[in-house]
Amino acid sequence: MTREDMAARLALSTLQNLGADEASAQAFTSRKTEFNVAGGKFTLLRTTLDHSLALQAFSGQRRGTVSGNSFDEDAVKSAAADCVASAQAGQPDPAWEIAKEGAGSFETGAYELDREKLFERTREMIDSIHRDYPQIMLEEVTAEHTAREGIYLNSHGVRYESKSGAYSAFVMFSGHEGDKSSSFNHAGFYTDNLDKPFLELGSLRQNLEDAQKQIHTQATEGKFEGTIIFTPDCLGSMLSELISNYASDGVLLDGTSLWKDALGTQVADARLTLSVNPSDPRVVNGENYTPEGFRSKDYDLIRDGVLTQFMLSAYGANKTGKTRAPNTSFALVMKPGETSLSDLIKGTQKGLLVSRYSGGAAGAGGEFSGVAKNSFLIENGQIGPAVSETMISGNLAGMLKHIRGISKETVEDGTGSLPWLAVDGITISGK
Amino acid sequence: MIPDIISSLHGSFKPGAHSELRAQRSLARRVVLLGGNLVGNTRQDSQGVSARVYSNGVYGFASAADLSAEAARRALDTASSNALFLDEQVRPGKGALPKINPGSLPRQADFHDAEQKRYLDFVLPLDEYISKKYPGLASRTVVATADSMEKQLLTSDGYAAHILAPRSYVYVFLNAVTDAGMPVEVFKSFGGLGGFDVNFEDPASLHGEVDKLYEHLMKKREGVFARAGMATCILSGELSGILAHEAVGHTVEADLVLGGSVAGPMLNQMVASPLVSMTDFAHTAFGERAPLPVHVDDEGVLAEDAELIRNGKLVGYMVNRELGRHFNMRPQGNARAFSFNDEPLIRMRNTAIHPGPSKLQDMISQTEDGYYLMYTNNGQADTTGEFMFGVTLGYEIKDGRLGRAIHDTTISGVAFDMLKTVDLVSDQVTWASSGFCGKKQPMPVGVGGPELRCRVMIGGR
Repeated sequence: MTREDMAARLALSTLQNLGADEASAQAFTSRKTEFNVAGGKFTLLRTTLDHSLALQAFSGQRRGTVSGNSFDEDAVKSAAADCVASAQAGQPDPAWEIAKEGAGSFETGAYELDREKLFERTREMIDSIHRDYPQIMLEEVTAEHTAREGIYLNSHGVRYESKSGAYSAFVMFSGHEGDKSSSFNHAGFYTDNLDKPFLELGSLRQNLEDAQKQIHTQATEGKFEGTIIFTPDCLGSMLSELISNYASDGVLLDGTSLWKDALGTQVADARLTLSVNPSDPRVVNGENYTPEGFRSKDYDLIRDGVLTQFMLSAYGANKTGKTRAPNTSFALVMKPGETSLSDLIKGTQKGLLVSRYSGGAAGAGGEFSGVAKNSFLIENGQIGPAVSETMISGNLAGMLKHIRGISKETVEDGTGSLPWLAVDGITISGK
Repeated sequence: MIPDIISSLHGSFKPGAHSELRAQRSLARRVVLLGGNLVGNTRQDSQGVSARVYSNGVYGFASAADLSAEAARRALDTASSNALFLDEQVRPGKGALPKINPGSLPRQADFHDAEQKRYLDFVLPLDEYISKKYPGLASRTVVATADSMEKQLLTSDGYAAHILAPRSYVYVFLNAVTDAGMPVEVFKSFGGLGGFDVNFEDPASLHGEVDKLYEHLMKKREGVFARAGMATCILSGELSGILAHEAVGHTVEADLVLGGSVAGPMLNQMVASPLVSMTDFAHTAFGERAPLPVHVDDEGVLAEDAELIRNGKLVGYMVNRELGRHFNMRPQGNARAFSFNDEPLIRMRNTAIHPGPSKLQDMISQTEDGYYLMYTNNGQADTTGEFMFGVTLGYEIKDGRLGRAIHDTTISGVAFDMLKTVDLVSDQVTWASSGFCGKKQPMPVGVGGPELRCRVMIGGR
């Protein structure tokens, strides 16, 4: 029996012995090896060995959760006692639910580390950036391998074992010429192999090229309504904001979501299909089961512009009378369009190509305003100069109904697959 | 209190290499009541040891989730081996770090990790007060949260220390709906340094604050959108503190200077109005305890204030030991790690703009047309100094008087341009300390400042 299995079993039995009516225990061990680069030079090799223990107890429909990182017998028993005490101090709520059935054993990705090859791929990436993009300064680079193995058990006999590993990198950089510089930008990716040079993964090469073109910027004058083409990186952050505002547990539980009664209705242009697909082969180590113990399945959030599912936990679903999301991941896959990116740009009279958005959290109504970072002006179908001190504002829900086009090209970074998305009616303002 | 497992391990350090050993326990508790439903009731506890070893310009680091002397020795061996691997690959040949003063910081007073029931006993009556007094709210959320770090540090040169840093907060979120059906929200956090049972004894102590928050919500419900474009704004202390941290502080962190931040070529140049001075305070600010005091950092450096802007001139960066050598600056205690398995990074501590001579009321009355911006929900800036802050509460200023509330908006600008437009600075400093700064690792920080009047771009319609 593995240490993880022993810890999870001990925790579960302790939770039950202390009076939990239902309970779950999850125990994992992870090993991380990480190279750090600062100012373009290797500075640190970091290896960590961690444990995690996540416990959940229900007592009289009252719930408590505790997490720790020790598998020692005393620590596990103490965490279980804290968990039950937390539950018993709470309020009863019949909406809490954990899975009644489920079993599986999953082995995904690259569990074994090839440290020398990870170092060589990282060094190759840095050398290539210095050679191919001489105006780029590397602010921060991390390249790592993480291996995880562990077990989920609950009091209904649900049992999942998993073992996974992945390589990933995160690169932050800016373009420089004399005392002029671009805004910083970044790119990252997950991969289960070291077959390709890192520079060819995700949006790294594109973002480096763009950063060199963003050293000299032009402030936008005045205020106008225009078209925004979001890059896949930026689209991911906008979708995250949108889902959080309209389709997640919090806003549906407190009733502030403007989509709370919109299930089955048209919330977006009919060309838009947005799915959450952890089993997509382009997603590295996608979710196999949810924290509530349900086997994960792919689903469509929006299909042909119609809202088909909320991103709800079992608790949120029971509380609101809606359906539980079939997985709890954020593996967003948007169906590509039939227009090329260059045609999207050609079809834009006046607007921006936005690679990064820096804004406050959108208001409960979905109104957003923020700075268009690492962005280019588009005029008469042509990419113009990079812009600075330019704000964009609009409404997240309104944006989906004013889609000008979706690119047929997509970017995959190991977490999902997204295209470029062009939307009309955004307020663009400068000095 | 974690057991003393490292103070006797000085003999395990390799001769000639700078080494650090750290044993750490981090605790966090959180209770969330959303519309009266207990949707969060959690406790997190993580502990372990780590070692970092410096060799010729590179570091090796290793950690294990185990609080024992044996785990500390293993971590030290692995960290040495990691440093050796990297040194052999890249041969930076930088030699040893300059020595720093040795010393010892004794253990600070312990704190009580209040049990989960104590948090529930505070938020349940507070939530009941809100629901009974304000039944027309669209929704409400009350959050009680606390986190603490306990660190034992042993270094081959520098300070040994035993550090305790607890803090606790209550957040109140209130939501209403406008006549046009648009949800609006206000929120505020309360609390600071110290355990939950010390900071929050009686839920009724927050009733007055909740009432004030509700008044703001009702005004925001009738609010208007700001006019997009450049505007004269008075930033509250909360916003000027975020500005100090995000838009200026990050650009003068030496690792970001090395990565190409705008502050690189600006040392000893005027970057702000002569009315503006700014310091990253270690443990004492303006004659009082800083919100989140730091006495020794995780490299064993005795903490002191880092002066950044003096009367508008940029006068310093924040450094760690290695980049102190690179920039020929004295390390002042800015190297901090979040979790036991994190390496120390250059971090701010309590960063604030200094107060000036003006009164807030006079600043408002001297403003013909503009905005008073009070609360923020987040802020970001990049290494060019271009910043963005979300504004969740603000009011128009018309003819020297506060007018209508405004809906959520964003302000933006370039810090070193915007700070040159500051023409009035208030005499009151407001601190905030509930948030985390994000820079590879999260980190609790204090931010503060007086009200500033300046020209800044505001989003809206």
